[in-house]
Amino acid sequence: MSTPLLTAAEPAALGLTALGASLKEAVVEVRDDRGRSGTGIIWGDTGLIVTNAHCAPRNASCRVGTDDVWRDAGVLAHHRHHDLALLAAPHARGPLLAIRDPDSLRVGELVFAYGHPLGINDALAMGILHGVARDPRSGSPRWVVADVRLAPGNSGGPLVDAEGRLVGINSMVVNGLGAAVPASAVARFVERVLARRAA
Amino acid sequence: MHAKGIHSHLVTRMPTPNADASAALSDLSSSLAAAVARAAESVVAIHARRRIPSSGILWRDDVVVSASHTVKRDGDVPVVLPNGERVNATVAGRDAAADLVALRLETKAAAAPRASGDSLRVGSLVLAVGRPGQSATASFGIISAIRDDWRAWDGTRLGRVARLDLNVYDGFSGGALVDASGALLGVNNSALARGAPLALSADAVDRVLAELLERGHVRRPFLGISAQPVMLAPADGDDQPALLITSVAADSAAQRAGLLVGDVLRAAAGRKLGHPADLLDALTQSRAGEPVQLDVLRGGTPTSVTVTPADRRTGA
Repeated sequence: MSTPLLTAAEPAALGLTALGASLKEAVVEVRDDRGRSGTGIIWGDTGLIVTNAHCAPRNASCRVGTDDVWRDAGVLAHHRHHDLALLAAPHARGPLLAIRDPDSLRVGELVFAYGHPLGINDALAMGILHGVARDPRSGSPRWVVADVRLAPGNSGGPLVDAEGRLVGINSMVVNGLGAAVPASAVARFVERVLARRAA
Repeated sequence: MHAKGIHSHLVTRMPTPNADASAALSDLSSSLAAAVARAAESVVAIHARRRIPSSGILWRDDVVVSASHTVKRDGDVPVVLPNGERVNATVAGRDAAADLVALRLETKAAAAPRASGDSLRVGSLVLAVGRPGQSATASFGIISAIRDDWRAWDGTRLGRVARLDLNVYDGFSGGALVDASGALLGVNNSALARGAPLALSADAVDRVLAELLERGHVRRPFLGISAQPVMLAPADGDDQPALLITSVAADSAAQRAGLLVGDVLRAAAGRKLGHPADLLDALTQSRAGEPVQLDVLRGGTPTSVTVTPADRRTGA
């Protein structure tokens, strides 16, 4: 028997499955030289992977893997303030996630974290947007804060909205809340590195 | 702004295997955000403790309800309304058992829209909305259990509460539990059940609030006895539960009525007594300040004692 609630919930649940499947194409697992595991986001067909700086130390080698195929990846750049790192992985290809402007985020909207928490590969977690923490001086978005369950291994992985757009990069847990680097800051970081390389 | 740079990345969209399904997820997301925005219009920040402010709900257009343990002072309390306006409120009353405080505003603001009764059900999608600072924040989950006659730590019957499967973050106690449309279901609290997230239903809050606004506290009937359950075994019938009085406080309602240690209470106001909580319920049912008839067994002889419960707080 199908109640009205179920008929309303079923398409949403299907959408969730589709979202998980498409995110799987966009992420890799990142391991540093000490074997600690994090998540990385394939930046379209640029051959670049974005992750947290604390997942890919500057003066160490790191490896990226999908479905147990592992390759070395060099650390191209770091952004200490935003805890971001850019890895060179020429073989990596994935869908380029659209960027969600943090100023358009609404408290309460659904967000999804994808990554490898505590060694569980390709885990999808659902939550809602809790708020956007801003830099007290500039007023620009500093952290996207989400009511979503994160664990070590989610670091460097994507936080996306219901349409699969990148909201931020999951970086830490503060008082039980997930904190992600705003997607706009991530995009600026990648663009700057790309521009430097082109020049 | 940097918007131009961002949108240069909007080259390809992610593949969406099922457009309808994705739209359903987006719709759900939008309605949750809209529900939070609606609820936030009647959730205020209360500055009456150190560290972070706590949350409160505009229960009436000039009354804010919050969790008593988060409002550390009496008298004047600064409250920041949803529109950012900072106004003064005074503590009109508080109740430790229900952990509720009523604040009266010196201005008026729009009260929270109330949900219809049937959305407080196990499995309902709910949002906790708080304002531990300037902006409203939210967490999301479901109602995991409902208790219709929940008792506080002191035995007081508080009424309907919902056990929540969601996170109650710092500053969320006293904030609103709302349904998926943003309509008010109750008051969130993390202190009533040893840290587990709980919400006192709006009906339960209404009952407490009416008393708080009338006299500043909730009257709790008090006899001044302690009692333990005993089982009477009459020769000519079934075993009967009763309460054995083990102490009588000096200058209490019980002493004034002539109750003695060793008396066995069998019924109060016609209600059989098997547990001390039954007595509390019988006294609560009768109107405060009205005499209650007790069926007593004294030295094996049935007798009747009329007692007028006092208010635990005032003693009168």
